Amino acid sequence: MAIAKAERLMNLALCLLGTRRPLSKRELRESIEAYLEAGSDDSFNRMFERDKDDLRELGLVIETVENLDGEVGYLARRDSNRLPPITIDAEEAAALGLAAKVWQQARLAGAASGALQKLRAAGLPEDVDPYEAHSALEPRIPVHEASFEPLMLACRDRRPVVFDYRKATAARPEQRHVEPWALECWRGHWYLAGWDRDRGAERVFRLSRITGKVRARAGKFTVPVPDVVTVRETVAGWAGESADRSALIRLRSGAGYPLRAKAARIRAAGEGWDELEIPYGHGLDAWLVEFGPDVVVLEPAELRADVVDRLRAVAKG
Amino acid sequence: MATNAIDQTRRMLSLVTYLRERPGAHVSDVARAFGITEDELISDLDVLPLCGTSFRGGDLLDIDTDGDRIWWHNPDDVAAPLRLAADEATALLVAARAVSTLPGLRESDRQALLRATAKLEAAAGENAGASARLSVTFESEGGVFADVDRAISERRRLWLRYYSPARDELTEREVDPIRLFAVGHTYMEAWCYHSEARRTFRLDRVAEIKILDEPSSPPEIELRDLSEGLVQPAAEDPEVVVEVGPGGRWVAEYYPHDSADELPDGGLRITLRTPDPTSLRRLALRLGGDGHIVSPTDLADSARQAARVALAAYDEHDKNPGGSYDRQEQGR
Repeated sequence: MAIAKAERLMNLALCLLGTRRPLSKRELRESIEAYLEAGSDDSFNRMFERDKDDLRELGLVIETVENLDGEVGYLARRDSNRLPPITIDAEEAAALGLAAKVWQQARLAGAASGALQKLRAAGLPEDVDPYEAHSALEPRIPVHEASFEPLMLACRDRRPVVFDYRKATAARPEQRHVEPWALECWRGHWYLAGWDRDRGAERVFRLSRITGKVRARAGKFTVPVPDVVTVRETVAGWAGESADRSALIRLRSGAGYPLRAKAARIRAAGEGWDELEIPYGHGLDAWLVEFGPDVVVLEPAELRADVVDRLRAVAKG
Repeated sequence: MATNAIDQTRRMLSLVTYLRERPGAHVSDVARAFGITEDELISDLDVLPLCGTSFRGGDLLDIDTDGDRIWWHNPDDVAAPLRLAADEATALLVAARAVSTLPGLRESDRQALLRATAKLEAAAGENAGASARLSVTFESEGGVFADVDRAISERRRLWLRYYSPARDELTEREVDPIRLFAVGHTYMEAWCYHSEARRTFRLDRVAEIKILDEPSSPPEIELRDLSEGLVQPAAEDPEVVVEVGPGGRWVAEYYPHDSADELPDGGLRITLRTPDPTSLRRLALRLGGDGHIVSPTDLADSARQAARVALAAYDEHDKNPGGSYDRQEQGR
């Protein structure tokens, strides 16, 4: 039976951490059973390179040094791999326990538990069980988009990417070449901010609109990454939350609670109607039409015309 | 917990460090400390004695267990606590920052989280840097949240005025809160006496809330499995078919659906199920020229009818632009 990958990785990690001098590939191959069974040099070499990458993903700093015989050797120095001293009290430990549970994405959930386990090994207090809910709150970060993981890695490693993207109102996806800067989750949806090479400008992309695979491209970023990347402001603009004008509407008494909650001014207009002054931003026309006959737009004329157009489209539909 | 080789290796490395400090540790305690099942721990303990600390053969970890306690007979100093990897620091720091922004979080929890975040950033060193490339904002209504949180911890009933967008109405309800959770928005799961059933309430739709003196005693019910998504239509729910043009493709992003088939014009034919199709009249109105309800036909008719009635008000108003809505009256 083939030796399990976890056993092989664990052996390699222990060998590299346990040695005081660099170990050559040959020495490692002779001391790890799975490598002895690897068969050809080629398959051993491929396996060894992959394993080293995997251990580096786990945070191990593996140095490559040439020894006296001119042979390449590897070691993971204790001092560069040790967690610096950290003292976390029981209350802080419980709070971190709550935070570690929020990810619903396999890679980050694994990484968060892994971090907690490393801290636990370093003496994180256990008297408060962090896996029990501390507050009544159970925050969860949803990740449903397949493009999330490759984009997260590309942002981390600063690698350009290419993907097909279908804009909200476009029939067909279009290929976009992007230097990815940051990912942000807002209202349960993930967005990517980055430099759009095709447009020559900063752009925000919604991950659910990425169709097909995200592929990493060779080469470096061509544009400096800004210190502060603002995703939320851009998305809020799409959602019509950056209203700079106001509108006057009639609303049937008792109806349209969310409109009332946003209103700057409400007054009774008689005959079962109220008059409201509400913020007027992008998308207000579509929202007002949802209320059907319970809303009448008074002004501005432009909004009134938009709402009437939409109603006509439904009426003849 | 995921049981892939990477996660297992990471866990076993920490386990070795942990066990060195605790000779004779109990399996149950260790499993709890690591957030894994006892079976997962036992499978780790099966692998560890096959792992060695030196390139010279035969030098293996002598770790064994009788199923209750764990012994390491040749403890080694290879097992120093390991630094955090970039992904580990990112996963924990991003989550901690997100949770600390929840407006309804208890102040003592927030302070603890902020202190822990600062310590983690220091301990992670340069590996903390990548965490700036990921961020999460939870939405929640601070005041409402605090009341629900308090009602849960004091086991008291709540009175709500709650907005239902499907019917565009506010209803008063008494509920026994069960838990709070945040998935994009913040929600309360509760037993609702108005509908005699378990209900999920979105906190930003709570118009008014009061903590009652009555004790809360929700019936024993199984908590919803949130990993399957928030909206889980039942098989017996009526089917609705919506056809949208390119401008209405967002419907497939916002409404859970059974199928979304491409149409030749770049639009979609979306089939979804809902317990209350009349609630989709709003959607039909919102879509305007970007789409329409194909079936059920009475739903499509009701949207058309609503639009006609709404338009009549504009005609009436345009014939009589002064009337009771004269701008002069505004200052009154």
